Amino acid sequence: MNGWMGKIIKIDLGSGRQEALPVSPETRRRFLGGRGLGVKLYTDLCPDPLDPFAAENALIFMTGPLTGTVMTSGRYQVISRSPLTGTICDSSSGGSFGAVLKAAGLDGLVITGRADRPVYLHVHDGGVEVRDASTMWGLNTQQTQKAIHGQTPAKTSVACIGPAGENLVPFAAIMNDRDRAAGRGGMGAVMGSKNLKAVAASGNRAVVIADPEAYQAMNARLDRAVDKNPVTGKSLQVLGTSVLVNVINAHGMFPTRNFRSGVFNDAEGISGEKIAESLLQRQSACYKCPIGCGRTTRTANRNGEGPEYESVWAFGAHLGVSDLSAITEANYACNELGLDTITMGSTIGCAMELHESGALAEKMLWGDAGRLAGWVADTAYRRAFGAELALGSKRLAAKYGRPELAMQVKGMEIPAYDPRGAQGMALSYATSSRGGCHMRGYMIMPEILGHPVFLDRFSTAGKPEIVALFQDIAAIVDSAVLCRFLQFAMGISTFSEMLRAVTGLDFSDEELLTAGRRICTLERLFNNRAGFTRADDTLPPRFLQEELQAGSSRHRRVRLDEMLDKYYSVRGWDAQGVPLAATLTELGL
Amino acid sequence: MPGKIAVKFYALLRQRLGMSAIEVDADGLTILELLRRVEKQAGRSFLDDLLDPEHLLLAGTIILVNGENVRLKQGLGTPLRGGDTVDLFSPAGGG
Repeated sequence: MNGWMGKIIKIDLGSGRQEALPVSPETRRRFLGGRGLGVKLYTDLCPDPLDPFAAENALIFMTGPLTGTVMTSGRYQVISRSPLTGTICDSSSGGSFGAVLKAAGLDGLVITGRADRPVYLHVHDGGVEVRDASTMWGLNTQQTQKAIHGQTPAKTSVACIGPAGENLVPFAAIMNDRDRAAGRGGMGAVMGSKNLKAVAASGNRAVVIADPEAYQAMNARLDRAVDKNPVTGKSLQVLGTSVLVNVINAHGMFPTRNFRSGVFNDAEGISGEKIAESLLQRQSACYKCPIGCGRTTRTANRNGEGPEYESVWAFGAHLGVSDLSAITEANYACNELGLDTITMGSTIGCAMELHESGALAEKMLWGDAGRLAGWVADTAYRRAFGAELALGSKRLAAKYGRPELAMQVKGMEIPAYDPRGAQGMALSYATSSRGGCHMRGYMIMPEILGHPVFLDRFSTAGKPEIVALFQDIAAIVDSAVLCRFLQFAMGISTFSEMLRAVTGLDFSDEELLTAGRRICTLERLFNNRAGFTRADDTLPPRFLQEELQAGSSRHRRVRLDEMLDKYYSVRGWDAQGVPLAATLTELGL
Repeated sequence: MPGKIAVKFYALLRQRLGMSAIEVDADGLTILELLRRVEKQAGRSFLDDLLDPEHLLLAGTIILVNGENVRLKQGLGTPLRGGDTVDLFSPAGGG
């Protein structure tokens, strides 16, 4: 088989039984791999929504047909039902783990059941070995990776959880290749619920390329395209993702103090430009990545990875903190303990506003940089007020009687773009299949950054169509599986060309876009069964009712009502957001 | 200050110019004329970070006048007035 390794193993950690899970060539083609194939397998195995921590719930590690081949192809996706949101969820991570999982002989791994003691899985030679991890339970993610490296061959890649995952914090991350994170949605907690400390992979099997000649020529051409593009060829390398701090702040939509303002007066002090001249030691890159957006940094006390844009915001402007070292060390703590930085920071910000409003007695003060790393640790171990922060913002705000102060959609905290500054991004947040996420349809690209075309960020005209298109393309990239940053330098036709060269199948752009739509619709069907309706496709009232008061997005609010009906229509869903029978027939669902 | 325009540099442009801001007497000039004047005043060229050889805005270049993108105004022909603030971003991205 070209591209895919042709083998997915399903393992029950309760019984230890494992079997190859047959997947037809037609299903691979229709759902590609990664997110798409993962969601397909997940919804086949668990069609009725389960408690995410139930033993019978499935957790799926999945690669795609391009994993281990072209540039940026070290990534993998993890799929399950989110304990944070209750939606279908997939979480993506870079590094090399995806490529190594294929080198170990598998396209993916489907995990059900609960082990009776802590275990880790070692994937090698096309099989899975269950190993004892009792001595590793309690270790942080870096200690865990080191311990497993001591028991496995050289160049083994490890995806693991830290204390947060063990303690079932619903926004626990899975960490791999030291500091790469499958961060969002709590996939690390699902892992913890299975007593699964890590998945390690090692091997040297090669992905078979259908057309090596076309593949080589294409790669050389794409290398030049990425190098020539000012974003992928230079900006991301030199300044990292935090270059966006000043960009977004200048647009008056850099969320400050729990989204009460879109302007952070100390933005310069936490910007990518500032990181480059202060903390940055060197750039770092994932497997076969010519971009290298990663930041290896050093504070006065410690060294590590990050912060990237979302994290510098979550522990910075969102909390009124301008101490870059404190932000960076909170980021390090999340990496080590295995927590999603966005939900962690956003939940702290929610608590700060709850305290300020008088609803919460716990002293949580804006700008309290000195307590950041402590709050992160307390959350991972569910101790002191960390036990409350471990609820995530939605449950925390509801508990204290002010649900509107949680800046979330469907339970997932929205990231570092105030939706009042970009109407398409607002619609994308409201309709994302995993809740308040920018990665499901990154409308900041056209609305702020001008890629591939520039759109008026305050207009709602045409946005439903473009949001749906961006969501479909995101689903394709997540299923192929590649890094989204390639989209700054290339479009859908390049992705179809890559898939043709690697798999030998005659993928057209149209077929891929249909696959993207199919994946998004399949996710919607699951979410409908999980009880999500039109009423959940919304944003916190702050964005719908309160106008920003300063900066270049002042006097703006989100006009979701101008876009949602049209979005459903474009999607082929009814007025309640339920896919129509004709749509399902068209997509073969 | 009347007649003066505050120009701020971000992203790679800042590194290239070695400064983060400059004040220019540019009342009545267009954006393109302002950029040329800044080059002259700063003593360094940088237009190729923002514009293509035909002097069109590169995809990803962001120029804000008082926070508003010039692509929604008159592009490089957008007229300026004293007291305006101009933010210049060479193409940047993240996520």
